[in-house]
Amino acid sequence: MPNGLFWVVKVPDSAVQISPDGNTLTIHLENVPVVDAFSFPPPVPSNYASDEVDISPYQLIRARTSFDITYTKTPGTTRRIRPSTDDPLSPLNWAGKMWDATNSGSFSVAYDDGTFSASGTFGSSGNFGEMGTERNGFFVHHEEQDDNDGVEAGEQPLSLPRQPANMSQSAAAANTNQPVKFALLKGRVPVRVSH
Amino acid sequence: MRWRLGYLPFLLLAFSVPLKAQIEPIPTLKVQPIPLPGGDIFLPYGLYNQFFPGPLNQNPPFDPMNADPQGITNFHGVTAMGYTSGFTTDKKFAVVTDIRVYQGDYIGGELADPNTAGATKSARAHGTFVEI
Repeated sequence: MPNGLFWVVKVPDSAVQISPDGNTLTIHLENVPVVDAFSFPPPVPSNYASDEVDISPYQLIRARTSFDITYTKTPGTTRRIRPSTDDPLSPLNWAGKMWDATNSGSFSVAYDDGTFSASGTFGSSGNFGEMGTERNGFFVHHEEQDDNDGVEAGEQPLSLPRQPANMSQSAAAANTNQPVKFALLKGRVPVRVSH
Repeated sequence: MRWRLGYLPFLLLAFSVPLKAQIEPIPTLKVQPIPLPGGDIFLPYGLYNQFFPGPLNQNPPFDPMNADPQGITNFHGVTAMGYTSGFTTDKKFAVVTDIRVYQGDYIGGELADPNTAGATKSARAHGTFVEI
């Protein structure tokens, strides 16, 4: 997005339902305008010079997608997050209370020009997910009382490393006995697809 | 060619796609959310204002355990995210997604004085955002 937000849209609050106990969150969206950029990062056309590379994908197909997803906290996986650095650019400069979470849902997508459409279902299938409450930026050191609301059953206080770990994006997947193929949604989400 | 790979390629937001009523265009919000200042550097494109959280001891390819899952800074609220996998109904394509939901308060930028080029001031607002 021109403002730097990464593929973010604003939706009505009513699109999201959170259960009274806070253990599940469901989102329902219809006909969200998106584009299909085929890979991430988008391929650089061969006739582009290196200084012409921009963050904007070059080939975009307008499409609409609808989906329902339910995220569910995994009991006993609570993590209390405390900022481990004051570096505003660090991934570890935030606070919150998070749980591992599974998810499942259904989707449909169709190009605006009608040349492609698909629908199906998906789920976390062992992939990482999390949900909870968080504070970042200005709020890291403000309104801290909101996540000091007692210890949940099974909560595991977590000590964060003082230094960010290796951030290389180039390595392979976790161990598995099955053939692994990386499907790169948004080009950089290595989700295991076993056949 | 694009479908031979057998994957449903990712979808990302267009900059100027007409928006339906359900979606509120961020550029017209009174209080503009501010992107996370950090993020992942992904060559050749540079910095994307978002991290890529993952499980313990799996970085790379993920960012460290407890990397901020948010894409908006100055945010206080509920966050849910997850990587998913699945298939289209006809089983022709594998589908992987990274969809994140953010609902809560944020401090963003608001027009401070219309008699300027558009200078901002900080302002607090509430909203629900989805990273698709």
